[in-house]
Amino acid sequence: MLLTDEEWTVVALSARVALVSLVAMAVPGIALGWVLARRSFPGKIVVDTAVHLPLVLPPVVTGYLLLLLLGHGSAFGRWLEALGLGIAFTWRGAAVAAAVMAFPLLVRSVRLAIELVDPRLEDAVRTLGAGPLRTFATVTLPLAAPGVLAGLVVSFARGLGEFGATMTLAGNIPGQSRTLPVAIYAYSQTAHGEAEVMRLLLISLTVSILALLASELLTRRMRARSAR
Amino acid sequence: MNHQVRSPLRIAVLSLAFAVVTCGRGWTSDEPVLVFAAASTSDALAEIAKAYTAETKVEVTLSFAASSTLAKQIENGAPADLILSADEQWMDDLDQHHALRAGSRANLLANHLVLVAPKGKAPSPAIQVASGFDIAKAWNGRLAIADPSHVPAGIYAQAAFTELGWWDAVKDRLAPTLDVRAALRLVETGETGLGVVYATDAKTSDRIEVVALLPDDARQPIRYPVALTMNAKPRAQAFLDYLRDERASAIFTRLGFEMAPLVAPATTPAAKAPPPRANTPADPRAAH
Repeated sequence: MLLTDEEWTVVALSARVALVSLVAMAVPGIALGWVLARRSFPGKIVVDTAVHLPLVLPPVVTGYLLLLLLGHGSAFGRWLEALGLGIAFTWRGAAVAAAVMAFPLLVRSVRLAIELVDPRLEDAVRTLGAGPLRTFATVTLPLAAPGVLAGLVVSFARGLGEFGATMTLAGNIPGQSRTLPVAIYAYSQTAHGEAEVMRLLLISLTVSILALLASELLTRRMRARSAR
Repeated sequence: MNHQVRSPLRIAVLSLAFAVVTCGRGWTSDEPVLVFAAASTSDALAEIAKAYTAETKVEVTLSFAASSTLAKQIENGAPADLILSADEQWMDDLDQHHALRAGSRANLLANHLVLVAPKGKAPSPAIQVASGFDIAKAWNGRLAIADPSHVPAGIYAQAAFTELGWWDAVKDRLAPTLDVRAALRLVETGETGLGVVYATDAKTSDRIEVVALLPDDARQPIRYPVALTMNAKPRAQAFLDYLRDERASAIFTRLGFEMAPLVAPATTPAAKAPPPRANTPADPRAAH
């Protein structure tokens, strides 16, 4: 597929943003999924609600809240800017938006995958002397791996597709925040943008279908395994 | 069990590797000059930036949106070096937020508003630009207009319509858009039968036709001020100079813009006295 330089920048930026957001949320997402699956503690429902909030909030609201929190108007935002790590209207902002929006999807699938792991297996390893971390690394995580990977794939795809929060927090700056959906929207609003829209749309469609297929295959494997 | 775990892992590793490889193209070593510009200047600035980069090897990144959107983004800390706004009010707003480099502001361009319809579907009988004309009956459906609550093109249009006594007749039939190019797009695709855009926007499309020219408002002529932002990189100054020299103005005028009448750069809102209608150079109407 032939892309113009401009479109290639869009695709590369989207990949970078989605990848950075994926790397940033992987460890906390898996940890939180495990906590929600295996632990009960006072205030669990509060944590659960807070994590899932971006799933149901209008993305613009999430983006605006992030802007209030991390933008020029907040002390924290100005401190980050002084460090050269400004969030608002930079690619970092796009990555933050993608991560926050995709986080609930990751936590959900990790939690589900871990809940499907038989706790008796974990108990068995523990009676053999393994600590909680070792139990997690050698039993829980490997057994939950397909589900965890499915979660990572879907949240990567969700990150690639983030629009509302990205626009609000990071704008539409080529090379910084003009990701696939933002570019598609911008092209759809301009004269003579049809060809660009179609090309980027095809890329978006392909990536999304592949991601869904991959996650579906992984989830099936997970189910088949737990049925055994 | 081991082999079962490995294959999804392999898929993950491969896709990560793909992402990392494609990432490389996104990084650049020296940062380009970041220009925020009114949507109506998109074709002209794209061409000028290309010429500038070819000449100086300095990359210019352009971000287009409604001037109001851009101003808000800069006030929220967007790292723009230079802003080209389609009206002076939003520039004043930036000034009040101390977002502009003192002394760098000057009016660059002038423009005019036109009414457009999808090609071959001009309202008939023709629209008469006069206060007695019953605009409500002139077309069916909605009027595509940049959102008059904040976008300059819409604000100018509302002023012109009010002046003509047309506003009350159209204000409940608007299709407001996020910027003026989106309004043009609605007319191009025939979604609305009538739209109000800049004369320069109309020139970019062969799928619409100009059906009327709106009179300029003497108190609020359409001017495009340009300025450096407070955090502008040093190299942005050279691009600002380029925008104001004859190589850029040749491109602007070819695309239908007028260069703003030279007046002393207004650096503070207080300096903006109500200007008497400056002598309009070439009649833009001749272009059509």
